Amino acid sequence: MPNLPQKKEIFLTGLWKDNPVLRQILGICSTLAVTNLMVNTLVMDAGLIFTVCMSSLTVSLLRHYTPMRIRMMVQTLIIASYVIIVDILIKAYLPEISEALGPYVALIITNCIIMGRCEAFARNNPPVASLIDGLGMSVGYSLVLIVIAFVREPLGFGTLMGIRVMSEGFVQWTVMIMAPGAFFTLGILVWIMKYFLPNTKTGEEKT
Amino acid sequence: MTKQLQSVVYMFLISLFFASLVSAVKYLSEERIASNQAIKLQRIVLKVLDIPVGKNISEDRISSLFTERVKDIQVGEKTLYVGYEEDGRTIKGYAFPVGGPGFWGPIHGMVGVNPEATKLLGIAFTKHSETPGLGGRITEDWFLTQFKGLPIHPIEGDQKIFYLKPAGTTTAANELDAITGATNTSSAVEAFLNKDLDHFLIKLWRSVEDRK
Repeated sequence: MPNLPQKKEIFLTGLWKDNPVLRQILGICSTLAVTNLMVNTLVMDAGLIFTVCMSSLTVSLLRHYTPMRIRMMVQTLIIASYVIIVDILIKAYLPEISEALGPYVALIITNCIIMGRCEAFARNNPPVASLIDGLGMSVGYSLVLIVIAFVREPLGFGTLMGIRVMSEGFVQWTVMIMAPGAFFTLGILVWIMKYFLPNTKTGEEKT
Repeated sequence: MTKQLQSVVYMFLISLFFASLVSAVKYLSEERIASNQAIKLQRIVLKVLDIPVGKNISEDRISSLFTERVKDIQVGEKTLYVGYEEDGRTIKGYAFPVGGPGFWGPIHGMVGVNPEATKLLGIAFTKHSETPGLGGRITEDWFLTQFKGLPIHPIEGDQKIFYLKPAGTTTAANELDAITGATNTSSAVEAFLNKDLDHFLIKLWRSVEDRK
């Protein structure tokens, strides 16, 4: 059982220091796809947080029993099951959002962050630490998506969460709605954040 | 037990467990998903038949309104929805599904026409994969409401039932505003709607009239 400072360290590593989107450049496909509307972004975030946490926890719980040779199969099975569960629940309880997100919910399974965390962390670490690691990483991912959606939706649609925030005469930036707008926003964000994130090469003092 | 066999048994057990879990969730949500889809369809049919539904109406109310006012009949392979006035006898109009290729993927929709099949009551798009903010604007009210009252007649020669023209250049009653920046989606909608309306007028509507 990790003590409190360790837990905090694991959480902050995912959230900030090794942020999956800004630092590891993982999960880019969904980052580009869903961030033109804040509502879609939030649902995607919730789906990913659930899937990453549950997958990491399950993989960690089974880590002593899973044979090395078939661990990838087992991980894929676990991840796929949770993703299908999320997909079914969204279809049943949030039908409108399910339609707006289209195939992207089912495609959470291809989000490299999930398997990345299972492989890199959960299969070698105890359950609680793995859960915190999954939480840190997925919340880190979510925050980046929210920032991008916060730029794209007002500029592209003139709204935020469907509520008009720009003046009536505002000319919508159509490029922001489409994939290139996401690329520009993400690229600029990674560039800016590079100055604030601790540098990995010279950051030896604290590792 | 050899290592290989152990792996196979392990994989089998874990698959069994997760498959059961997913099946259970699916089984428990199935009814709700089906009713979501049914209500979505009912809402759309009521909308294109111009039967007022009111805002924030409960799902049960939509279903009961639908059973009161709409009957579906099969014409060949197509489903036709017959809408009735409040008295439950006078026909208010017919609704039928339309659809065709859009710019990025298939577009599905529903159209309502008056009992004489001379004008449109309403139109809605239920499924499309057009660019949000561009072609995706076919689901916006300003685009859909201009179809209300559009005169329709079977196509003769090159004359289409309606045209989508750039906003501000429309002159005749059968010319409607296209979507700026989404020329391909607009012309796709114009093409399949003209085709489906014509098909309704010369095939479906006639066969409904013959039944009377």
